[in-house]
Parts: sequence; C-alpha cells; structure tokens
Amino acid sequence: AATAPGKKITARLKRTLPVRGPQAPTLSELMRWYCLNTNTHGCRRIVVSRGRLRRLLWILLTLSAVGLILWQCAELLMNYYSASVSVTVQFQKLPFPAVTICNINPYKYSAMKEYLSELDKETKKALETFYGFSEGKSKVRRSVDEWNSTGSDFFQQIPLLKVEDFSRTVIDLHSGQKRKIEGSVFHKDSSIVNSGDSNDIIGFQLCDANNSSECALYTFSSGVNAIQEWYKLHYMNIMAQIPLETKEKLSYSADDLLLTCFFDGLSCDKRHFTRFHHPLHGNCYTFNSGQNGTILSTSTGGSEYGLQVVLYIDEADYNPFLVTSTGAKIIVHDQNEYPFIEDIGTEIETAAATSIGMHFTRSRKLSKPYSDCTETGADIPVENLYNKSYSLQICLHSCFQKAMVDSCGCAQYAQPLPAGAEYCNYKKNPNWMYCYYRLHEKFVKEQLGCQQICKDACSFKEWALTTSIAQWPSTVSEDWMLRVLSWDKGQKLNKKLNKTDLANLMVFYKDLNERFISENPANTLVILLSNFGGQLGLWMSCSVVCVIEIVEVFFIDSLSIVMRRQWQRAKKWWNGRKRAGSGKAGSGKAGSGKAPQAGDVERQGHDNPVCIDEDLPTFTTALRLPLPRDSPLPRTPPPNYSTLRLETAFTEQLPDTLELGQH
Amino acid sequence: MNLKKYLVRALHRLQKGPGYTYKELLVWYCDNTNTHGPKRIIKEGPKKKFIWFFLTLLFASLVFWQWGILINTYLSYNVTSSLSIGFKTMKFPAVTVCNANPFKYSEVKHLLQELDRLIEAALERILQPTPGNSSENVSPPLNLQLWNQIPLVLIDEHDKDNPVILDIFETNQTAGGNETAAGNETDASNGTAGGNQSSCSHQGSDNCTYRNFTSAAQAVTEWYILQSTSILSRVPLQERIRMGYQAEDMILACLYGAEPCNYKNFTQIYHPDHGNCYIFNWGMDEEALNSSNPGAEFGLKLILDISQQDYIPYLSSAAGARLMLHQQKSFPFLKDQGIYAMAGTETSIGVLVDELERMGYPYSDCTVNGSDVPVQNLYSQYNTSYSIQACLRSCFQNHMVEICGCGHYMFPLPEGVNYCNNEDNPGWAYCYSSLRSSIKQRQICIDSCKETCNDTQYKMTISMADWPSEASEDWIFHILSYERDMSTNVTLDRNGIIKLNIYFQEYNYRTISESAATTIVWLLSSLGGQFGFWMGGSVLCLIEFGEIIIDSLWITIINVIGWCKGLKRRRAQARYPDAPPTVSELVEAHTNLGFQQEAVGALPRDEALPPEPGTPPPNYDSLRVQPLDVLGPDSDAE
Repeated sequence: AATAPGKKITARLKRTLPVRGPQAPTLSELMRWYCLNTNTHGCRRIVVSRGRLRRLLWILLTLSAVGLILWQCAELLMNYYSASVSVTVQFQKLPFPAVTICNINPYKYSAMKEYLSELDKETKKALETFYGFSEGKSKVRRSVDEWNSTGSDFFQQIPLLKVEDFSRTVIDLHSGQKRKIEGSVFHKDSSIVNSGDSNDIIGFQLCDANNSSECALYTFSSGVNAIQEWYKLHYMNIMAQIPLETKEKLSYSADDLLLTCFFDGLSCDKRHFTRFHHPLHGNCYTFNSGQNGTILSTSTGGSEYGLQVVLYIDEADYNPFLVTSTGAKIIVHDQNEYPFIEDIGTEIETAAATSIGMHFTRSRKLSKPYSDCTETGADIPVENLYNKSYSLQICLHSCFQKAMVDSCGCAQYAQPLPAGAEYCNYKKNPNWMYCYYRLHEKFVKEQLGCQQICKDACSFKEWALTTSIAQWPSTVSEDWMLRVLSWDKGQKLNKKLNKTDLANLMVFYKDLNERFISENPANTLVILLSNFGGQLGLWMSCSVVCVIEIVEVFFIDSLSIVMRRQWQRAKKWWNGRKRAGSGKAGSGKAGSGKAPQAGDVERQGHDNPVCIDEDLPTFTTALRLPLPRDSPLPRTPPPNYSTLRLETAFTEQLPDTLELGQH
Repeated sequence: MNLKKYLVRALHRLQKGPGYTYKELLVWYCDNTNTHGPKRIIKEGPKKKFIWFFLTLLFASLVFWQWGILINTYLSYNVTSSLSIGFKTMKFPAVTVCNANPFKYSEVKHLLQELDRLIEAALERILQPTPGNSSENVSPPLNLQLWNQIPLVLIDEHDKDNPVILDIFETNQTAGGNETAAGNETDASNGTAGGNQSSCSHQGSDNCTYRNFTSAAQAVTEWYILQSTSILSRVPLQERIRMGYQAEDMILACLYGAEPCNYKNFTQIYHPDHGNCYIFNWGMDEEALNSSNPGAEFGLKLILDISQQDYIPYLSSAAGARLMLHQQKSFPFLKDQGIYAMAGTETSIGVLVDELERMGYPYSDCTVNGSDVPVQNLYSQYNTSYSIQACLRSCFQNHMVEICGCGHYMFPLPEGVNYCNNEDNPGWAYCYSSLRSSIKQRQICIDSCKETCNDTQYKMTISMADWPSEASEDWIFHILSYERDMSTNVTLDRNGIIKLNIYFQEYNYRTISESAATTIVWLLSSLGGQFGFWMGGSVLCLIEFGEIIIDSLWITIINVIGWCKGLKRRRAQARYPDAPPTVSELVEAHTNLGFQQEAVGALPRDEALPPEPGTPPPNYDSLRVQPLDVLGPDSDAE
C-alpha cells in the first residue's frame, strides 16, 4: 500500500542496482553453478555427466589436470632464473693488452751485496755444515770467521735445523747441540717424508716469541726446498726494511732490461713502458699500460704486427739462492687488472725466440640472482688494496693481508700495504713469522673465511696464449746479431753480449676474432607467463579469468554464503529464544519460514535456468531441457535469454533476502 | 543462370544487412565467444559488470602489449649456443711444415752477394767507427746503386729540434771518402737514436720519409728484407722453388699412426715468407685422413732437418721449423697462426679442435663461402677456401696494385700485374711503407671483409723435450744421414734436427653450435600462451572477433547508406514543399481527371510532369524489402 517514499526508492534501487551476493543460497548450489558456468573445461563434465563411474572418472581427470598444472608451473617457476649462453665472434680492431715483463731475478745481486752479505754467509755455512759443500775453501773459511765475529741474533733465532726424525731430536746449525723438539711438526712435503728413512731432514723451527713453548717445526723432504724457503723468509725480513725508492734503484732500469722494441711495424722505446714495482720480482715494465690515457690497438694479426722485444737478462748478476732459474716472466693482462705475475706469469727462456700468439675471449656472467658473482666488487666487505679493478685474486690477497694486519700487527711483504700498517720485519715484530705461517696455514685450509667472502668477477677478459720457442739467434746470424745488439746497448756495457743473456719475445694476435661469451636470461617474464598460459590452456583451458573466478567463487562467494547461513542461524536461534520467552506463536512462524526455502532449493534444482547447457548438451541432458519458449523475434540472439534468466534467478532469490531484511 | 541467381541473392542479402543491431551483436558476441572475459560482463550485475569490463580491457591490453614484446624478440633473431665436448673420429688437421729460412744460402748466394757485402761494410762502419780499418782495402768496390735507393742513416737526436742525419757511407760514389764519415759516426753512436732507414719516393727528394728504429739490429733486418725482397721478386717462381728446401732433404721420417709415410705424402706449396712449405693431409687430391684414436701413438710423427748452417744470415735470425695446423683446403697463414719448433728438441702437440658453427644472415653477419664479400680473393688461385686472412691480404694487395702499380712479393698477384722491384718501380718501398702504416687502409679492409660462419681453431698443448738424447744421438744421426745422403758420414747435427708429434687429445673436439633461439613455432606457442593465460583465447577467438568486426562494419555501411538515402529523400522533399502524392492519389489522378487541380492552359505539359518527381526512389527500396523477406531464410540457409 502506501509505503514511505524512502522505502520505495530503496526498493527501486535494489531492483535496478541489486546488491548481489553469491548466486546460490547453499554451497552445493554454488558449486553446481560454478561448475556449469565456469570457463575451465573439466568441471562442467563432472556436473553434466550421468552415472557414478563417469562422474568419478571426470573428477579424477580434473584433479589430475589441476595437479599437472601445479607441478608444471612450479617447474617453470623454479627454472625461471636460468641463463642461456650465447657466443658471438666479431672480427674487429682489437685493443692490445698490457704486457708486463719482469726479470726473474728481482734485484741486481751486486747492488744487494751490502744488505744480503750476512744472510748469504749464513746460507753458505749451512750448506757446508749439512752437505759438506763449499764453493771455494778459502772463501768459506773467511766467511765462517766473519760470522763468528758479527753473528746476528736473528739468524740464531730461526736457524736451520737437521732433524733426526727417529729420535725426534734436532741438531742446531750454530751450536751443534742436540735437543729434543717439542710442539707440532709441520712437513711441507708431508706425504713424501718417510720416518723410517735414514736420511736426515732439514727444516726450521718457528716459535711464538711470547710463549716459547708454542713452536712449529717446518721440515722439507729436500734440502733444496728447505734452504730456499728459509732464505726467502730472511730475505723478506731484510727487504721489508728497505724503502721503496731504494729498492727501485736496486732493481733493473728500463734501459737495462729492454734492448729493442718494435710494435705494429713501428719502433718503440722505454717511453712506451711503465714501471711497476713488484715486491717479489723487483722492477717490472708494463707495455701499453694505458697510463697516459691511450690504449694501443692492432688492426692486423700476425707476428709482424705485435710486440717484439729483445730483453737483456744479466745472468751473471743473479741471486744464487733466491732464484734458481734464468729468464724473464711475462703476463698478458687487461689495463685495469693487477698483474699477478708470481701466480700466473709465463716464463721466457734465454737464447730463444718465444712467440706468443694470443686469442682474445671476453666473458660475461649474469649477476644475482642468476649466479653469485660481483660486477664491481663494491658489495664485497673486503677493502681492495691494489688500486686496480676487482678480481678474485685481489680479493683473496687483500683479505689475507687484512687478517695478517689484524692478528700479527704488521703486513706481509709480498702484498700492498693497507692504510696505517707497515711491513713486517723482525726488528719491530719478532713474532711475525710464526704468526704468518700459522695464518697462512689457516688461509690454505679455508679457515679464515676469505674464500667464502670473495666472489668471482662477473666479466673478465682472457687472452689464451699459444707459446712456441725457436732457437735465436741462429748459428749463422749469431755473430752479427750479438755485435749489433752490443752496439745498441751502447757504451754502458763494456763487455760483449752473450746469447744466454738475451731473450727474444714476440706477443701478437693470432687473429682479430674476438669471442664474446655472454650469459643471457633464458626466461623473461613474458615468456614465463606465456608458458603458464600454455600449461593452463593445455590441461584445462583455463586463464587468469578462471583464476579470478575461482577466487570469487571459492573464497568470496562461499564465504559470504557461509556467513549468511551463520547469520540466519544465529538470528533464528535468537528469535527462537525470544519466542520461547514470549510465547509459542514463534515456532509456527519459524516453520513457515523454513518451508519456502526448501521449496526454493528444490525448484532451483530442476529448473534453475543457469543449469541449462549452453553448448552441446548430451543426449540425456537434452531430454531434461525445458522447452525453449517461443520468441517474439526470431532474430534475437540467445544471450538475451540467459541474461533474462539470470534476472529471474535473482528475483526468485530476492524474497529470501528481503525476508532477511524484514526480520 | 544459377550463378546469376546466386549473385542476385547475395546482393540482396548484402543490401539487407545482418539483421540485428549493434547492441544485439555485442551481447550475442559476449555470450558466445570463447574468450573468457566478455561472458562475465553480460552475466553479472552492474557493479561486477563494470569490474569485469575493466578487467577484460586490462587483460586485452596486456595481451597486446606482451605480443608486441614477443614479436620484437622474434625479430631480433637471437641465437642460443649449445656446447658439446668429446671424442669422435675426426679429420686429422692439415699440417704445414716450413723452414723458418726461405732459401738455401748456398743457392741464393750469387744473387745476394752484392747486398751481403754492402751490409757487412755498413755494419763494419757502425760497429767499428775507429778510422784506419783495413777491411775495405781488401774488398772489391761496393755496388752503391742498391744503397742509394734506400740508404741506412744514423740520426743523432741529442738535439731534439735539429736531428743530425748521417749517411753511413757519407760520400756518395767514391769508396775512398770513408774516413771523414767515420769520424762523424763516433758522435752518432753516442746518441740516443740507433740505426735508421730512409726511403724516398722516386718523384723527388722532397717525398722522403725516415723510418726510425731505436735498435740497429732491427733497422738492419728490415732494410735487408726490403732489399732482398726486391732482388728475389725478379727471380721466376720455378727458380725460387728450386732454391728452397726440397721435401726429400727436409722431411727425414714420417709416420702416421702405424702407417709409414714419406715426403711424397706432402703437397708442396710456395710460401713467400718461408719458401717451400709442405702440407700433410691437405685433402686437395685425395681424401682427408681420419684419426679415430687419441694419443701420440696414433698421430703424426715427423723428423725434420732444417740445416741451420745454410741459413741466410741477415734474413731470419730465429732458427727452427715453422708449422701450422689448419683445415683441409685452406691456405696456411704461417705468419699469423704458425708456431715454431726448436731444433734439437722433440715437440709434442696435443690438438683440440675448437669449432664454432654459426647461423648466417639474419642471425649474424658472416659469410659461408666468401662469395658475398666485395674483395677479389687472390688466394683462390691455390684452390683454397675463403678465410678472413685471405680476404685481408687480398684487400691489401688490391690496394697496393691500385696505388703503387705493382704487387707486393708476400702476396699472390692479381692477373696482369708484376711484383714490385727496385728497377721497374723505384718508388715502391716508399709507397708500400706508407700504405702499410695507413690506418685508413686497414680499416677499409676490416670493414669489407667478413668472417666465415664456421670458425675452426686448433687449440694446441705444446710441450718440449730434448731430442735426441745424448745416449741415442750417435746412432740416430747415423741412420738418418745414411737414409738421406747414402753416406756413412754424419751429415746432420743437433742444430738442424727436429722431431714433431702431432696427435689428438683425449677430448678432441669442442663444438659450439648456434641455433635460432626464437623460431616461428616458438613465437606461435608463446603468443598462444599469452592469449590463453590472460583471456583463455585462441586463434578461433580472433576469427570470432573478426567476424564481429565485419558484421558491425556491415551494419554501419547499411546504416550509412540508409542515412544517405534518407538525406537525399529529404532534399528531394525539400524541393517539393508539398508532400509527394501517394500511389492512390496518383492512381486517382490518372483515372479521375476531374479531381485534379485546375491549372488552365498548362494542362498538357502538366500531364507529363507530375508522376516522375512524385515517386521518390526510397519508396521503391522499402517496397522491395518486403518481397525479399521471403528470400531471407533461404539465403540464411546457404
């Protein structure tokens, strides 16, 4: 009748803009509706199929399809961060790498005499005592006498020892005393040492200066190794005390080392070389270091167009104990790289022409999350001491040096100095050698954590070298070659050159093909999504729309149905309690309230319009279809019907909700 | 007849239109399409309708965006590389062996005699600048003609701005004027600069360049090479081959696997740098040999003699054999890829074949057989395949011929051109050195040459040992000497003998082959995947959509035609302000003349006029529609 205008408006609103909850009153109805209307394929069959077996089969198939999709998609996700490798070859003008050349002997022995005389005497004495070897009787006598007079306590502190392994007693080089050794014994060549052998073993002992019971004995299977190691230990102590400028003077100058130079068909000289002081190799010279801003490049391959140098190796001026081989060491590296010449240098023979053909390869890895490498090294918590671009070697060395400064209080001689530290020598740090050996052992056993912290660099350049050697100078050309080279060397050299003092070196590009090996992401998001789409489509003809549907139906709608049910039940219970309190009239009403609802469900089960198949009904379902109503317009398309039907479905539902509202 | 009927029907069908409105069409499409979104739009309530409409639009745009990316990826022609390593039976590489020295000195001595004496005298001058040297008095007068073309000079650079240039033979023609020059050289040898070499073009002394060398050794070698090149280039090829090392002298022993081989298994080739070179297993006439076992036992073993005593002293200072491994039917570029083997040693070379197989255009810019490179390949006269080295050298030689008018001795000749020599082309050395140092020329060649698609490299692991050992030295030399020279005297020595082992390593190939990363199949499946992922669509959905577009176009056209006709009619009506007479009126007008309006006098003319303008065309059309309706279902059924 005459309802309030406000109510009219809301009713109207509800009609035109109905607030629609789930489209079915119960969960099973919702599921049924979903299965019939969903865009995925399997679900529909479950509802439409007649017969238990067939339905079961369809349920199984649908579930297995879902399982397959999940499995495959998980697989796709896991493989998302994989990389594919591509190799490109480009023929082009190539930058010539930096070539660092060192003499194997770091310092002129004649110039080092004043610093090393004591050490050499000591070494010679050791050789005489242990092996009965002497260079010339008179010389050794004199040196022994001298030693007796000057006697350095540092050598006494760490003397060479002869170990009689049987009884674990040692004979001191100086005193000749026998004593028992305590503490641990370290064998440098551990597996070779045979305790039953009658051979005596040479070694040396390092003790903790603060705690003299802490000693480590280093033994070597061969006296050659023992003496070299021992010599090097003392040598580093001595060198650490000499300032850098003096050391540079003691080593070879560019004029000393380089006799001739030829690059790319043109003559070059020492101005093309940059000096670089290496702690273990003395003065090294880098060709094309890029320090003056220009990097030379080659546009022609072949030995004529590379670098050709003749090196002067002054064999007579070699330190007999420190280095035992003759020649030069070279390393081919990038201008930004630090030359780790002691680790990866190539040795050059004297009296020979060494031709080194290069082949250039550039590699690039993908950084996180594809692999664990670093682009610039900025994310590594180790300070780069080398002033060059990051590499794994630099990181490891820096890491060790840092650990050394932290635990021993001074820096190891072979590596650059960190800020505020100074090199170890046994005047200031009497304890350093023991500390160093301990630390080094830890480092090798990966106990310092350096290997874990340091990552490899993502991109690196590599020059693959093919080395071959020819005799040089040839017997017939030897004569004039040596004469002319001696003339080249000029007046500074007053003796004629010997061919064992010379080394000819050719470094050139074999070809100008640059190989670039790079990793590319194998998957992009687009490809991942299309793979997902392919999987979903293949097994269930599903898409994102289906996913949204699933979310809608299974989460939002079913939740709201459950909530509504709960709400109704709660309401009913509340009403019932109220009625029970007020009178018995309530129970009748509750019953009448329930009856229409059941009827609704039943009716919907039969002619719920949404149940009707829209495509290809099976025979059985076709029989159950309600007859299509006559349409007033033959050309109005089917969609109109279903939309209409939907409308009716909701209007039928409306009283239900309206009823709720009235309560 | 049938066809005509059919066409008429079709025309009528077209004129009639699809028979529904835009809205109907759209609703029908949304409900019946197989793509997932649109169905929801029409099935849901208004709020959800809006959400679904928005979602569908979003997904559609996503699909198109990603399709764009995919097509872009496809058109960038990426490749993926696959790597395989292992051992398989492979063709043994061709092995080229040369002596580092091109000719036997004993054979070419008569040609180089003058030059040698000249250089000896020059060296004497440089090295012993003190006057009163007696050596010149004994020697016959020098041929200074060679010298004057390209003299060696000393440049004293003590004073940077005014370098003092001294000819080593100070006065030009007379040999007697030496003493004055010698005094000057003492100063020069104190100077920082060493030997220098100057070359002038023949046009005049203005066009001189000095090639500076910091080392006299280098200057002398370069100068000697330049001069000897000019001398030897005049010698005919047959003669040059005869002057080089013969196969039977050089290759003493050969063993391939278990089979013996000898110098006859080698193909002779004349290499300008190294004289006679011998190629094993080149594959030109015979089938290439296969090796199916790794290890030195199954490789090639050679014993060579380089007879170092017979070297030309000033030409090559390094002594040894030069060898190179390369592919069958390719030219050996020893200067680039060759390696040395030292005399008195056994050199073992383990080989790994490193292959790179690339896809051609459009994936990468490489050439399959060099036919598309704009440089005439001069090495094709050797019947060898294209390589980038061949292209670069041909390019250089072509430029040389173009600019200097003669070909360089180190490279093959184009047809109808001669090699450069000092007599015919006095300025060639200047021309050559300026061309050689020209960066522009190099860049042109680099740009015009393309690398080959199949790049094969032989990675070598080289190791050396002394050979023969002291204990075995005697008998080995004896046997080898006997076999070669049939003499019981030892004619070989440590300085000349070389042993070579060339064999496959345990892994003898590493092949990187490229394949297209994105094929058309990949593209289609990715496109399908994207469409399926966002909208559950397929190609059929696209066709559906196309159908809808056609239908709506159809409707539009019909509407537009209808509207135009309407416009015309309205215009026609506008011309006759009164409403057009209806049919009944007209009929009546014909039958009942009395009903007509009176227009006295104009009656006979009026009689003809009224019917024509009175029947407007649209009316007919609409009339026609009615009977055509009967045809409608018929055509639909078709």
